[in-house]
Order: sequence, then structure tokens, then C-alpha cells
Amino acid sequence: MSYALEAKNIHKAYSGHKALNDVSIAVKSGSVFGLLGPNGAGKTSLIRIINQITGPDSGEVLFHGEKLRAEHVEQIGYLPEERGLYKKMKVGEQCMYLAQLKGLSSNEAKTRLMDWFKRFEIHTWWDKKVEDLSKGMAQKVQFITTVLHEPKLLILDEPFSGFDPINAELIRNEMLRLKSEGSTIILSTHDMGSVEELCDQIALINRSQVILDGTVKEVKNRFRSYTYELIYKGYAMDLGIGLWASFELINNTQHEDYSVAVIRIPDGRKLNDLLSSLLKDLEIISAREMIPDMNDIFIEAVNKFNASQS
Amino acid sequence: MNKIALIIKREYLVRVKKKSFIIMTFLGPLLFTALMVGAIFVAMSDDTEHNVMIVDTSGFLIAQEVVDYKLAGLERPRFKDEDNLVYEFTTIPITDEEFKTSRHTLMVVLDSASYADGLCEFYVKKLPSLTVQDRIQEELESALEQWRVKKFGMDWKTYQSVKQGVTLNTHNVEKPESGEDLRARAGIGFVFAVVIYMFIFIYGIQVMRGVIEEKTNRIIEVIISSVKPFQLMMGKVIGIGLVGLTQFVLWVVFSGIAFTVVSALLGSAGEVTGVVNGQMPEQLPQGGQLAALKNNETVSFLLNVPWMQIVLAFVFYFIGGFLLYASLFAAIGAAVDQETDTQQFMPLVTIPLLFGFIVSEFLWQNPEGTMGTVFGIIPLTSPVVMMVKTAMGWNMGNVWQLILSVVLLVATFIGTVWLAGRIYRVGILMYGKKATYKEIWKWIRYNG
Repeated sequence: MSYALEAKNIHKAYSGHKALNDVSIAVKSGSVFGLLGPNGAGKTSLIRIINQITGPDSGEVLFHGEKLRAEHVEQIGYLPEERGLYKKMKVGEQCMYLAQLKGLSSNEAKTRLMDWFKRFEIHTWWDKKVEDLSKGMAQKVQFITTVLHEPKLLILDEPFSGFDPINAELIRNEMLRLKSEGSTIILSTHDMGSVEELCDQIALINRSQVILDGTVKEVKNRFRSYTYELIYKGYAMDLGIGLWASFELINNTQHEDYSVAVIRIPDGRKLNDLLSSLLKDLEIISAREMIPDMNDIFIEAVNKFNASQS
Repeated sequence: MNKIALIIKREYLVRVKKKSFIIMTFLGPLLFTALMVGAIFVAMSDDTEHNVMIVDTSGFLIAQEVVDYKLAGLERPRFKDEDNLVYEFTTIPITDEEFKTSRHTLMVVLDSASYADGLCEFYVKKLPSLTVQDRIQEELESALEQWRVKKFGMDWKTYQSVKQGVTLNTHNVEKPESGEDLRARAGIGFVFAVVIYMFIFIYGIQVMRGVIEEKTNRIIEVIISSVKPFQLMMGKVIGIGLVGLTQFVLWVVFSGIAFTVVSALLGSAGEVTGVVNGQMPEQLPQGGQLAALKNNETVSFLLNVPWMQIVLAFVFYFIGGFLLYASLFAAIGAAVDQETDTQQFMPLVTIPLLFGFIVSEFLWQNPEGTMGTVFGIIPLTSPVVMMVKTAMGWNMGNVWQLILSVVLLVATFIGTVWLAGRIYRVGILMYGKKATYKEIWKWIRYNG
């Protein structure tokens, strides 16, 4: 398995305050990696270390297996959460400048910019001043300057904030396209919907530590409570008898001509066992495992960790 | 392209293309020339016509007119009408009321006592300019003087030799030239010192503003994910320094052109007025010769000024001083979130700079002062002070000051740039809080 980025046992402290405490993450090449966590947990500190804006107090960062070096900045694209542009500069000029800072030649930058401007349908903006752009327009320009040098690793911090749903979709599609072309993406966001939709792996940082990590599937499995939602027709009493002491009834709601029960299946038993004990008295309409979504997992993991600390 | 070069290019072009830069580049020399020409005009001209009535009840003055003015070394008769001054004489007293309704604008009243004590009454309807007053006073003084010489039966030549004053002709054994020249040279150095002071200040503040702008725009994090904070800081400092040099060079060129054009225009205008006012054409060459002589003195003085040393020192102290101060300004910009918060740190930079300016002004008055030696060596003040000292010239006895000053300035700006870089790299990522001195100290010591 090749990793685009590995951060190993990173420690970082700012004047007495621990920003990162033994943080390790491993981002697989070609994947989308969700870096999650509450505000102030240490995500930005980690991102700044990866971008070599600051250095770690201890620990090491490997980029495609090599120790992170200054030259690697040209293979990384970073869209910070706190992002802006020079207001007085023209859009084209500014994009050229940022592209050249990332190591592109002037000609190369111009050709690629023209392509992107056409793709985003903003080619008329070239000579516009940045201060005349709306927030959404500026965000598009920022996204382009982040990906223009075709970085192997993209770090996007809250990339959808400030976008309307149509433009957010545009960015989402671009991310998927870049991924399909081999880019690795680290996505830091509070929008759990996009985490579910886009991420292959996640790491949840809370109070300077990684408290949860793995592939989205693994994490979800870890938080699986083997709880099922059962829609049936029949008497509630028959349900009680069927469950008896073997299954735990969490909730039962009766509707006009059907009922919905939430049932937890204990270790060692399966859905089949549940169904076979109920089938003779009830008519089962549907049975569905209630898999926790990332939002629930986030809240549960953070609360659990915080409770254990206090 | 090298990243620092890219940053320098951006910082330079963005500023040079600004309307305010272009306007100031053209307006600066025009304002400067206007100021110079204006000052000369104000000093020289009072274009109001003055009709001066001289009431001399003794009648001596009118008699005096026959006295050979050439004997007193004058080129033309006294009280001769000129430019805007017309004289009339009378021996009959005129009352205030009569003067008020007369066409005369000024009136001088003297009697026989005036010839002894020199006290003349001066009546005006509106106070004339000092130049006009001086002119009238000079005429009267010279006339009364000649009258007294004649009265005492003295020979004019004898009188001249009695009147001979004293001139202190300075000989500095360390610097074999006159004290006046030294002071004049210090003056030239002071002009360069003012330029250095002005440019450090104006462009240093631009560096600070640039840093604050990048912080408030939130572009800083994007940029420093591509370049090192130190590269960004140095690129900004050098780029803006070059803007300053560009403006300076353009100002020198344009001021030169503007001044030449204006003085050429004024020069020909002066000749024309001379002829119109009825001056004898043959008198003009005489004046011309005098001017030529004066010019020769100026030329030989100007040739003696160590221009090469001044220019070299200017370039060195401009760059050294700018790097030193601009990096401090950059550090201040990084430590704050908005320009109003810079107040608490500004004295750190402005006080030494202002102090150097004051010392160099003092040096101009007193070129050999100890203060100059001390503050010429201290790097915070040396860029300004040393311009005055260099214009005064160096010799084997004191050249060690220059060497020490240069070495210290280089060492200090390297140190300051390093220190400012450490404050800068932490400060630029601190949003929304105002740093204290204590916090900045932590930033300096902070590793990583």
C-alpha cells in the first residue's frame, strides 16, 4: 500500500498549549481523506505542518515515502479555510503570480489558466479586479489557483463554504475528477454529508489527539450498534412475545395499518434469528439495519472522549 | 524564476503601476520646483509700485545727489528710479493728511538731526515688503554716509580704509579648507540625509501596510504555503525599496528638467525686464562678469565636494538603513491586525530615526560635534548622520569612524532582518489578536 502522506507521532506546542499530541495519520495515494474534528482541535496546526508553514516539535512527515522537504510544496496544493486574494490586483495577474510561486513557468501557467477559466466559464474575468468579485466568484478563483499546478496532494480546508449549491456541486465534481486522475485529497470539513459522499478514509482529531481513524466503512462498522428498524403488521403484544428475552426492543411506534419497531440484536445472534422468531405471528414488511451516519459518529466519539477526560 | 524575484517583481509592479505613484512622480518635482521658484519669487519680488516721497527739510540730500556716486563705488546714481520704486524729493514738510490723499505710497522724513543720528521717520499707507524697505534703507544709509564723510572733510578712500571690517578666515588644520565651505558641504550632506530619512519613513510604512494588507486579506496563508515567510518578507522589503529608489531617481531627473526649464524661462524674462526698465545695455555685461565671478567660486566649491563619496555613501546607507528599518516595520505589521494597532510599536522605529535626523541637523550647524561621531557609528542613526559627515569629507584621522559605521550597520541589519523574520513568521498567522511585547519575545525564542 503506498501512502501519499504519513505523519508520524507529531507533537506541537504553542507557548504552553498543546496543539498536537502524538498525532499520526496515513493518507493512501489516490484517496480522499477526511480530516475531521471540532473547532480548535488541532486540524489547522496539522495542516500547517504538512504545508511546512510551521514545523513539528517532534515527529516526522513523509511525502510519498520521502521525508518532507521544501521542494515538496510544489506538489502540494493548499486551500486554507482563511483564504483571500490581493484585492487590488487583476484576476489574471494574480493567478499568474500564484501559479509561478508554485513553480509553473509563465507560459505553462497561462495555458493552464485559460483551460480552467473556460471550464469554469469565467474567461471574461481575466482583467477584472479582485475587489469587484463576489465571494463565490473569488472562491472559484482560489480553487483554480490551488489545483492549477496539478499537485499530487491537495489539502482543502472547508472548500464548500461560501458556495451556492450549484457551485458546490461543481467543486465536488472537480474533486472527484482530480481524484480519478490520481490526486490525493485531504478534506477538512464540518459538512458530514460531503464526508460520507467523498471520503475513503477519515481521522477525527479532538483535543490535539486522533481519537478515531480508518476507512469510512471501518469507522461505521465500529460504531455499528446492530440496531434494526423493522416495519411490520400485527399486534405489539405478539412482537413482545417474539422478542422475549433474546432481543432488546428500543422503541415501537404504531401507525394506522403498520408499526415501526427499533430492535437491537445482541452479540452472537443474527437478523435471521430475529426474523425467524417473529415471522410466525407478524407480517414483516421491511427490515433495515440502522447504520450511524458520520454526523452521529462525530458527536458520539467526541462526547465519549470528552467525558472520559473530565 | 526565483521565488524572491517573483515577489520583488509583484511588490514593485503593483506599486509602480498605482495612480498615486505616477501622480507623485510627476507632481513631486513640480511641487519641488514650484516651492523653490516660489520661495525665490517671494524673496525677490514685490511687484506693487511704490512712489516714495523723501521729505528732507535740511535740503542736504538733494545737494548730495550731485556728489560723485562713482566715488562711493556705486555703478549708478542713488535714488534712481528702478523697477517698481520711484523717488521724489521735497524740502517742504507734508502733513499726515496730505500724505494720505497724495499719490505717494511711502514717505521718509528726515531733518538735519537725522544726518547725525541716522533716525528717519518712515510713513506708510501699507507696509511694503522687507526687500523694498531694505532697498530704501540702503539708499539712505549710503547717502548719509557720504554726506558725513564730506562734512568731516575726510577723503572717501581714507574713510573706506578706516571702515574696513574684520573677517575671520578659518583654517582647519585637520581639514585644509575654510569653515564656511565645510558648513556648506555639511548642508549638501544634510539634503541627502533628509532624502534618506524621508524615504526610509515613507517606504518603511508601505512595507508595514503591505504586511497588514496580506494579513487582513487572508492571502498570507496561501502565499506561505508556497514560499518561506522569510522570502516573502525580504521580497517585500526589497521590492518596495526599489520602488523608493525608482521614485528618487525619477524625481532627480524630472526636478533637473523642470528646474532647468523654469530657470531658463526666468533668466530670459529677467533680461527683458532689465532692458525695458531702461538700464543701460553696457551695464549688463558688468553685472554678467560679476555673476561669472561668483559662479566661478560656486563652481570651484561644487568641484571640491566629494560627490563620488557622497553618492557611494548614499547608496550604501540608503540600502542599509532601509533594510534595517523596513524589516522592523515588517515585523510591526506582522504583530498587529490593523494599522491602528501599530501605535504601541511605532516609537521603537520612529524615535531613533527622528533622533538621527535631529543630530544631522545639529551637525550642519556644528560640523565638528562629538554627537556626530557617536551617532554616526550607532547603526540606528548612522544612515542619516553619516551623509552629513561624508559630505564634510574623510581623512586618515577619522576614516575609522566610517569603517566602523559601515561594519556595524551591515552586522545590525543582518541581525535585525533575522530578528524581524522570526517575529514575522509567527505574527503573520496570528489573526484577531494584538500582540504584547512579552508575546513577541516568545515568538522570537520560539523554534520550528
